[in-house]
Amino acid sequence: MSALVDRAIESAGLGDVIAARSRGALSDAVLVRLRDADLLVLGALADRVRADEVGPEVRIWLGESAEDASSITFPGDDRDLTGLELLREIAIARVTGPLRVRLRVDWMRCGLELAQVALGFGADELVGRIATKRGLPIAEGELSGVGKKSRRELAQTAKLRELAGYVRRAGRRPVIVGHDGTAQAFEEVPAVQEANP
Amino acid sequence: MIDAVFEKVRRAERLTYEDGLALFRHPDVVAIGQLANGVRERMHGDRTYFNRNMRVEVTNVCVASCLFCSFARLEEGAPGARTMKLEEAWSELETRMDDPPAEIHIVNGLHPDLPFSYYEDLLAGYKRIKPDIHLKCFTAVEIHFFARQFSMSYESVLGRLRAAGLDSLPGGGAEIFHPEVRTRIAHDKATAEEYLDVHRVAHGMGMRTNTTMLYGHIETFEHRVDHLLRLRALQDESGGFQAFIPLAFHPDGNGMRNLPAPTAVDALRTVAVSRLLLDNVPHVKAYWVSMTPEVAQIALRFGADDLDGTIVHETIYRAAGSRSPAGMTVPELVRLIQEAGRVPVERDTFYRVVREFPRAAVPEAALKVRDRKAHKHLDVLS
Repeated sequence: MSALVDRAIESAGLGDVIAARSRGALSDAVLVRLRDADLLVLGALADRVRADEVGPEVRIWLGESAEDASSITFPGDDRDLTGLELLREIAIARVTGPLRVRLRVDWMRCGLELAQVALGFGADELVGRIATKRGLPIAEGELSGVGKKSRRELAQTAKLRELAGYVRRAGRRPVIVGHDGTAQAFEEVPAVQEANP
Repeated sequence: MIDAVFEKVRRAERLTYEDGLALFRHPDVVAIGQLANGVRERMHGDRTYFNRNMRVEVTNVCVASCLFCSFARLEEGAPGARTMKLEEAWSELETRMDDPPAEIHIVNGLHPDLPFSYYEDLLAGYKRIKPDIHLKCFTAVEIHFFARQFSMSYESVLGRLRAAGLDSLPGGGAEIFHPEVRTRIAHDKATAEEYLDVHRVAHGMGMRTNTTMLYGHIETFEHRVDHLLRLRALQDESGGFQAFIPLAFHPDGNGMRNLPAPTAVDALRTVAVSRLLLDNVPHVKAYWVSMTPEVAQIALRFGADDLDGTIVHETIYRAAGSRSPAGMTVPELVRLIQEAGRVPVERDTFYRVVREFPRAAVPEAALKVRDRKAHKHLDVLS
């Protein structure tokens, strides 16, 4: 995090938020300030909280992710949010939510593009049904000439690779959470710059 | 390093090649966006521009074989090849005269057999139908092709087309200037120097033009910075660029279909760094066709101040797999801009204000959603 971002957070009147959060002393007044804050300043603040509390990993769920008190899934039931509103919601949840809360983004509902951007605003998990793959010709090539079951497995691998690529290109580390709940790092995608394929 | 770059931006100092690379490589895209947003607001406040425009592609027959193109067909008669009769091209405008566009944007393939008079007649016909229509037509690559094909200078080509009705040039065809990339993806059309020279000549004749960069394929960050600085250097010299448009590569149906498309984070980073490096180009567009309306809306907070326009029916990006709609209405564009907390301004091609729309309060329903959600989070915390 740069000094400029520190200054931006400070000048937006949010410099005391992280300390208040760690004391469990966030107030309604803070919420009002967060709601009115510049979106990118809020995003930077949320990203800092995310980095401190849950680190660089982004968990990609293979199966159904169990909803519990330690996680919040976005978008919620209100489907009329704009992309900017969704980002603000996620950032506010990261700053005002429980310590180390898991913020899940359902990429099937909001799209992969927005889900990837949300990783810079406090989100740390991606959920969505991995079933078919469109628009990845490498995968289409891999899928030809195999049986139905293998085809499904290969499609899943291709989709996972794509998701992991999105995570890497957002500067984060992909971790796959299997159907049995076990997590392991996804190492197949090389850690390359977006512009250096 | 990055803090020094941030300081330079804050003091409105010009950034260097190394600064540009540091910005592209910085892992925190939100911080880069924040910096670019500050510059954007310094230049334009909350004003965000769009226009009523219409895309027409009169031919997709093209002698060039660019690897990234899904639109072109090599010759007439090839499957999917299409060249409009003049009457057909004019009818695109005639049928919209109940709510006419203010600008027609024409980009074509490099057709080997059409006579120069076809293009002159095309422009003159549009002006006959609507004398005040702005004709922003033919990329620098097309102008260079005409000059070669018809043994004319750039000045002669532009002079004759202007006499027929041409008002300005679009920015397409820039791709990536660096020869390491250009010779691989676009080896048989105008070189970087030729592209820039066409714009230099056009600016010298008093014309205004736009410019672009096609990113997200085989180029590196170094190539992107090189590209942006070449544009900045020409703008220092001739001053005729109005807007820069970063164009995201789309892989469907072209010679680089094995590559993934650039992601939203890369799109936002590229908009932001472009705004920071191109300190002498007034406008940076978030071209919604290329990056989807959703990401374009977010880009209005990452340095972009223009959404392009209504477009009506775009075909080049759709051929390459874009999932964006073919066109948008004025109310849709106004809503996108208002939801981003900006002030929508309908402009003409030269950025003169046609109509300024009010700044919208955050839609009531959305505010309620946010309040409820945020309070829920607070409840959880307490």
